[in-house]
This record gives sequence, C-alpha cells and structure tokens, in this order.
Amino acid sequence: MKKTLLCLTVSALALGTAAGAETMTVGLVAPLSGGGAAWGTAMKGALELAVEDINNAGGLKVGDTTYDIRIAAYDSHYNPNDAVTAVNRLVFEDEATFIVGPLGSAPLAALVPTTTENKKITITGGFTPIAMAEEHPYSFRAVLPTQIYANPQISYVVTELGAQKVGSLFPNDETGQTMSNDIASAYQNAGADASAVDYYERGRVDFVPLLTRLLAQGIDTFELDGSPPQTAGLLVRQLRELGFTGNIVRTGGDATDDILAVAGAEASEGLYVHMEYDGSLPSAQAYQTRYIDAYGGTMNAFSPLFYTTINMIFEGMKAAGTIDDTDAIIAEMGKLSDFDGPAGKANWMGQEIWGTMRQQYIPYAIGKVSGGKPEVIATCDLEKCE
Amino acid sequence: MDLLTLLVQSGVNGLVIGTMYALMAIGFTLVFGIMRVVNFAHGEFYMIGSFVAFITYAQWHLPFAMTLLITIAVVGIAGALIEWLLIRPLRADELTGMIATLGISVVLQNSALMYFGASPRPMPDVVSGLVRFGPVVFSWSRIFVIVAAALVIGAFWLFMQKSRTGRAMRAVAQDREAALIQGIDVERIFPFAFGMSVALAAVAGALMAPVFSVSPFVGITPMLKAFIVVILGGLGSIPGAVLGGLLLGMIESFGATLFGALVADMLQLALVIAILLVRPTGLMGRKEA
Amino acid sequence: MNTVDTHMTQPTAASASQRGFWTRIVLVTLACAVAYATPGLLPNLFYVHIANLTLVSGIFALSLWIIYCVGQLSLGHAAFAGLGAYASALLSLRLGVPPFVSLLIAGIGTATVAALLGAVILRLRGVYFVLVTFLFGQMFTLMVLNWQSLTNGANGLISIPPITILGLSFGPRPVFFYFAFVVFLLVLLFTWALSRSTFGRAFDSIEQNIDLAESCGIDTSKYQIIAFTIGSGIAGVGGAMIAHYIRYISPDTFTFHNSVAYITMLVVGGRSLFWGAVVGAAFLTPLPEFLRDFAGLQHIIYGAIMILVLRLLPGGLISLPATLRRIGGGK
Repeated sequence: MKKTLLCLTVSALALGTAAGAETMTVGLVAPLSGGGAAWGTAMKGALELAVEDINNAGGLKVGDTTYDIRIAAYDSHYNPNDAVTAVNRLVFEDEATFIVGPLGSAPLAALVPTTTENKKITITGGFTPIAMAEEHPYSFRAVLPTQIYANPQISYVVTELGAQKVGSLFPNDETGQTMSNDIASAYQNAGADASAVDYYERGRVDFVPLLTRLLAQGIDTFELDGSPPQTAGLLVRQLRELGFTGNIVRTGGDATDDILAVAGAEASEGLYVHMEYDGSLPSAQAYQTRYIDAYGGTMNAFSPLFYTTINMIFEGMKAAGTIDDTDAIIAEMGKLSDFDGPAGKANWMGQEIWGTMRQQYIPYAIGKVSGGKPEVIATCDLEKCE
Repeated sequence: MDLLTLLVQSGVNGLVIGTMYALMAIGFTLVFGIMRVVNFAHGEFYMIGSFVAFITYAQWHLPFAMTLLITIAVVGIAGALIEWLLIRPLRADELTGMIATLGISVVLQNSALMYFGASPRPMPDVVSGLVRFGPVVFSWSRIFVIVAAALVIGAFWLFMQKSRTGRAMRAVAQDREAALIQGIDVERIFPFAFGMSVALAAVAGALMAPVFSVSPFVGITPMLKAFIVVILGGLGSIPGAVLGGLLLGMIESFGATLFGALVADMLQLALVIAILLVRPTGLMGRKEA
Repeated sequence: MNTVDTHMTQPTAASASQRGFWTRIVLVTLACAVAYATPGLLPNLFYVHIANLTLVSGIFALSLWIIYCVGQLSLGHAAFAGLGAYASALLSLRLGVPPFVSLLIAGIGTATVAALLGAVILRLRGVYFVLVTFLFGQMFTLMVLNWQSLTNGANGLISIPPITILGLSFGPRPVFFYFAFVVFLLVLLFTWALSRSTFGRAFDSIEQNIDLAESCGIDTSKYQIIAFTIGSGIAGVGGAMIAHYIRYISPDTFTFHNSVAYITMLVVGGRSLFWGAVVGAAFLTPLPEFLRDFAGLQHIIYGAIMILVLRLLPGGLISLPATLRRIGGGK
C-alpha cells in the first residue's frame, strides 16, 4: 500500500518539476484560513506583488543568471504541526530559496530548527524572542513586536487620554503572554494601573462575561493589545453593548479594518490604534491602492512591511551574486540601510535587545479612528511619539 | 458595579449563550436519540445557517423572519438529503456513522472556506440599541436572541408533543422495534429528524450571526459546547439538552465573571466529568438498554 | 494474512504452525529489507519526513486498535500521546535524562496514568466512555496550557534533544526513520502476538459481546483496563517520539483533532483486523500532501475520500481485495 503511494508521488513529482530552466522558488507558510488569516493573506499578497515586480521586469538578475520566480504557498492553519510539515515540503521538495512566514510564535518555534539547519531565511511576524535569538541567524522579522513600541506609544496615549485604570484581555498563548508583560509595564511606567487583566482561549467569540468582570473593576480605558483582528472587533462591539463609554486603545498589530468591519464605525469612533507605519505617506497609499486593485476588500498593514523585507532579501541576493549561499546573502542584507519601501525607510535594529540585528524597523505611528477611518495623530520613533 | 448588578448582568449573559447552546444541543441529542449517530457535522450546519442568514438578510435585505424561514427550509432539506444519501447507508454501525459525519464536516467547512473566504463578515443587527435598568445594561440584539430562541424551542416542543410526526419521532427514540411494530415508517422518520435537527442548529447560527459575525469557522465552538451540554443533560434527552444548555450558559457566564475565563473552563469540564462518573446518563437521561 | 507458498508437501498441524512461523520471519525480514532501503530510495528528505510521520501515526493507530478491540473507543487518545511527549521532553530537558531512557519512562508513566484513570472511567460503556475520554482530552489541553511553571504554557517546550543511543543521534530524518521503523515493527508484532494470545481471545469475545463474555466468567473489566493501559502506554511512547523528532511540542501538538484523526485511520483502514490500523495510517497520513496541488480543494477531496471509503468499503480499505473479488465473481 505504502509503496504504491510512494510510486505515485514520484511520478507526480516528475510531472511537477518539468518547468523552465532558471526558476527560483520562494516559499510561504502562513495562516491562510482561520484566526490569523487577515495577516497571512496580507503576507501572501506582499510576496505575490514583490514577485510580480521582478517577473515583469524580466526576472531576478543574480550574477550572470536571470531567475524567474515561482511561489509555493502553504497554509499553516496557525498550527505548529502543519507549519512543520509545510516547511519540510518547502525546504526539501520545493527547494525554496527563502521562506516568508511563519506567523505566530508556536509555529515559528516548531520550524526554526529545520530552517536554521538548512540555512533558509524566514521572515516571521511572531513576537517570540526565539525569532531574534543568536542561534537562529536566518530568522528575520518584518513586524515590530509590542515590546519595542509599547513604551513610547502607551506613554503618549496615557497622557492624551488621562487613562488611570486600564483593562485588557489577552489570548492565552505565547503571543498573549509576551504582550501582557510588555503592555502592563508600559502602562505602569506611564503612571496608569493595568492590573485588570484576563486571558481567553483563541477562537472564543463571546467575551461578555469576561468584559463584565473587567468593567466591574471600574476601568476607564480598554486595551485591545494584539488580539487577532476579528477578535478585536468583537471586543469593541461587545464592550459598547455593555454600555462602556470609555476609551479603547489598540497597542498591537494592525487590525483597524477588521475592527471597523465587525464593530461598525460608530462603536469604533475615537479608537486609538497602533499603525505599523505612517499611512499618510504617498508611497504607502500607492501600495494600498495597488493591493486593493489586485485583491479587492481591504489591506492589512502587515503587507507593505513584508513586501519591504522580501525586497531586501532580493537585494541581498543581487549584491552577493548568489541565491544559494545564505550566509553571503544575509551579510549583504545586513549592509542595507535606509532601504526605501512603500511604508518608509527600513533599517535593521535589535543589537541592544537581542544581540542581533535582524529586526526590521520602519517608523510607526499612532492613529485615531474618526468617521470610520484611522487618521495619523502622531508619528513615532524608538524613543517617543509626537 | 455592585454585586447585585453583576449577578443580574451575568444572569442575562448566561441566558443568551445558554439558549444558543440549548438550540444546538436539542438537535444534536435528537439525532443521537433517534438514529444513534453522533453528528460531528452539527456545527457546520450552524455555520451554514449563519451564511444563509448573511446572504438573505445582509445582502438581499429580506425581513429577518423571512430569513429564518429560508434558513430552516434550506438547511432542513439539505440535511434530509445528506441523511438519505450519505448517512443512511452507514447507519448500521455507530462508529462508521460518526466518522462519516466527520467527513461531511470537513467537506462543508472547506467548501464554505473556498466560496466565502476566511475573513469574517460582519452582519447588521436585527434590532439595535441598549436597554438600561438602572446600572444593568443589555443590548437589544442579545435580548432578541433569547426571545427568538425561546420561541423556536417552544414551537419545537409543541411539535414533538402534539403532531403525529413528532410523536412518531419520540416513539422511535424510545424503542425502534416497538415503533416499527406500531406501524411507524422509521425510514421516513430518519431523514425528517436529521433535517429538523440540523435546521435547529442553523436557526442558532442565523440568530447569532449578527452578534458574532459570520465565517466558515463559526461552527466549531458551538459544536464542542453542544457535545458538553448533551453529556450534561443526558444523551438523547431533549429536556436534558434544554436544561444542560441553560446550565452550561450560566456556569460559563457566572464562572467567567466571578473567577475569570480559565477557572470557568476548568470548572465546566470538571463538573461534567464528575456528573458522567456519578450519573453516566446525565441529569435527565434514561438508562441505556 | 498473506501466506507464502513454501512448497511443503502435506503439512501436518504442527508443521503448519511451523510454516506460519517461518512465513512471518520471512515477512518481517522482507519488511526490514524494504525499510532499510527506503530512506535512500525516497526522492528527498520531505518524503522521509512524511514516511516518519506515517510510521508514528501507525503506532498511534495500532495502540488505539488495542483499546478498540476490547469494545471501547477512546476520543482522548491524543491526550495520552501528549502526556508521553511532555513527560519525556521534560525529563530530558529539566532532569537531563538521556532521551531514549526518558522515552521509556514516559511510556511507563503514561501507562500508569491510564491504568489509574481506566480503573475509574472504564465502568462507563459505549458512547459514555467515548464522551468521558473526549472530556479527558480537553482537560489535558487546558492543564498543559495553564500549568505554566511546568509546561511553559502555550509557548511550548523548545530545544528538546533528539534521541541518542550509544552516541548515535536519531535526530536527522533518515536516521529517525530507522528508529521509528523498529518501534513500529515492535508494536506491530506485539499487537499481533497479543491478538493471538489468550488475552487476544478474551479481547475478541469481549468486543463481540461483552455481556456474553461476562457470563462466561471472563473478567471483562480486568481485560479492559489492561488493554487501555497498554494502548495508552504505547501512545505515550509515540508522543515522546514526536517530541524528540520535531524537537518542539506545544499544547497544539496533540489536540482533539489528532484523536479524531487516529479514529479515522482505524475506520478507514478497517477495524476488524489489527493491520487495518496500519493501512489507515499509511493511507491517511500522506494523503493531504498528495492533494496539496489542488490548493483550496485539498481538504474537500480529503473529506470526500473519507466518505467514499466508508460508503463503498464499510469494512475499510483492508476489505478492498475481498470486495473486488466479490464484484469480479458476480460478473
């Protein structure tokens, strides 16, 4: 039985790889369905647009060879088992040169031994410090973790709102547990009390009992933190349904469109949100228009960030004159600075925090939702927002 | 917020999820009682119900009552067809039937995913605004769920008590052989019961759609909850499903409000395991033959 | 089972069983030879990875079959795999126990937990047992998630060392393949021997009719506890193997969905004989990978295949030859 199956695979494989001569594969493993799908599809869009740019320009010219780029994209379902299988397939079967993803800390922790061993660059959105650890030199991160922006952003918001008692609900997983520490200490530093905290299991939709519990503790501000986009929308909606009139703040990955879609413009009015970059930049708006023309609907702000990192890898390949020597490529990538991307200038950071320089940094901003749209009210750097 | 306010608020919250769980569990337990099939696809019919409501209410702007009727008709007929086509041939064995429903669940969920995409779709409220009784606040949309669900459960109960088909279904659930001897056409009862069971789940989905928005994955949690409710109330017992649903809703609501989410979850499971061990047939179940 | 014609003349009863014995030796040797060549023959390491997962799935499915054949169906089997995985990972990470030893301890530990639990919950029959094992699985996930000081919560355990025996590391995929194959073969032979022993005969009569078995003086609950203990213990070993192979585990590694997947293997493969479990695992574990090219349709086809197998082959895939013969004969 097993043997027949294997024979079948071998023949399927022979058919599958009979493509053009100079083709290079780039892999993607991200949640394309379920809770994190808003982020995963944004990553996939970023990769497709970046590849489209290159293929339309005649391919990626590295040394004397020009490569046509092919994408192999797999759904991680936000689950470590599926992410490991997908990454094995990308590394050994598709022979991907690098991998966009994974999102989420558990999938990253599960697959990083494989990618490190096989010298594959990954671009993650997972907030775990494992992503930046010295022993995983090929793991890059496109998105700023809460840890970096919690302090400047929260101190601005607390002053602005005069927040005193802050309530928050976190997903009960690695991401949530990491964020809750960062956010609680940032509020403490800003002089607010953020002790009204609870955790929920991913996939939960009814938060009314938990919110009732927090409201009973007399909170004046609610922190949405990094809850998945749809969940954040439900939280805003259910808070308002419980008659909460205080301020709502989002110190976490971009979810504004989903929040607006689920909770409605009225409930979201006055929401303070973290913006991954200054959305008023013309280049950012152009990217967004292009994305929406291509895919319809809305665009999650992770997309231009990943687009930028992907292009930095292509740049590194060109400079190193190789697509296989990962060490040479990352050395060249490390030399890039003030790299122009749609979201602004990108640089590497992280030396003082993790002892490595593989965190992409693009200046971010704070937005305030008014009339169903986030308006930039402050732009930020690593120190402060103003 | 004083304690009394908190208790009232929690009570109403519990009632909302409780009635939803009850609606889910009634159908689940009905199919088990009559057909001896554990329907793992039950949650997917909840999901389909919420999509039918989304299309008819949010896109076609039909009145919500009409939406509910269409949901019941569409999902009921689809359920009967599925029973006739896929489950009937496999019913001889409890386990095979159960696995078949699992396959159905995978197919339905992923078809929805392909057709509608993964991102959740918000749906406008049927009734909006807040009700205030002093410090206690409810949203009309949730009160609406309680009332509508109670009406559906009431109608279902009347049907089971008064109608010929309803009585026939109860007879089959009690003793299939005896029902056969009585001249009840069991083969006709099965697709009907299955269709009705999944239509109830679909109604739950349609009612909750404006509250929790709509996506291909909305059925998973209600399915697991229905599972727990049915254990709590007793497999195959319809009053048990109603009681178990309300009880679980209350435990969740009060547990989470008073002690936090994790304690509430643990408490729930510990309680249900304890009940199973002390009284395996649940609160209102009959002893199995 | 397959029999190989060995050109013996007029076998007596004794020599027949002798012949059966030699047939099995030949089969096992053949399997070993095929297995020995397998990693080298597979086109790349991805296939080896899938082969490894398939072998471990086979172990899970067989262990579930042992429980199934005393008439009980566990919907919490993944929890025991998880228990073994966490036990072995923690022993090797926190206490520095060598991974192979920790694997054995994990197996024994899981079996002990199963024995204690079984003594309480095996009073329940049929669907009630299914439900209580489901709840146990949920409880396990919640516990792992929330006992953070021990399990590191949702973060999971990272950097779990690979299995090493006498300096040979079973970390690389092709090497792990041999380890997984040996364990799989041992479990397979053990299951076969079990189904042939007095135990097996008692198991059989319990599965067919528990009340009759009881009235024949068979202590059914004793046999059920034994089967539950053995099956869960083996699942614990399988879980520990995964932990040391992937080198990372989290509460998401072994969930309700895994439990369901093992049952599906059993049913799709065929429940009547132990190797149905093996066929089911070998069929279903790589199946999603074959369907990857269908992108969105992948899972739909998977579900449809599941239903089709049940619909057309109620006895599972192992009944395929007989069904084909019947159709052929009917013509």
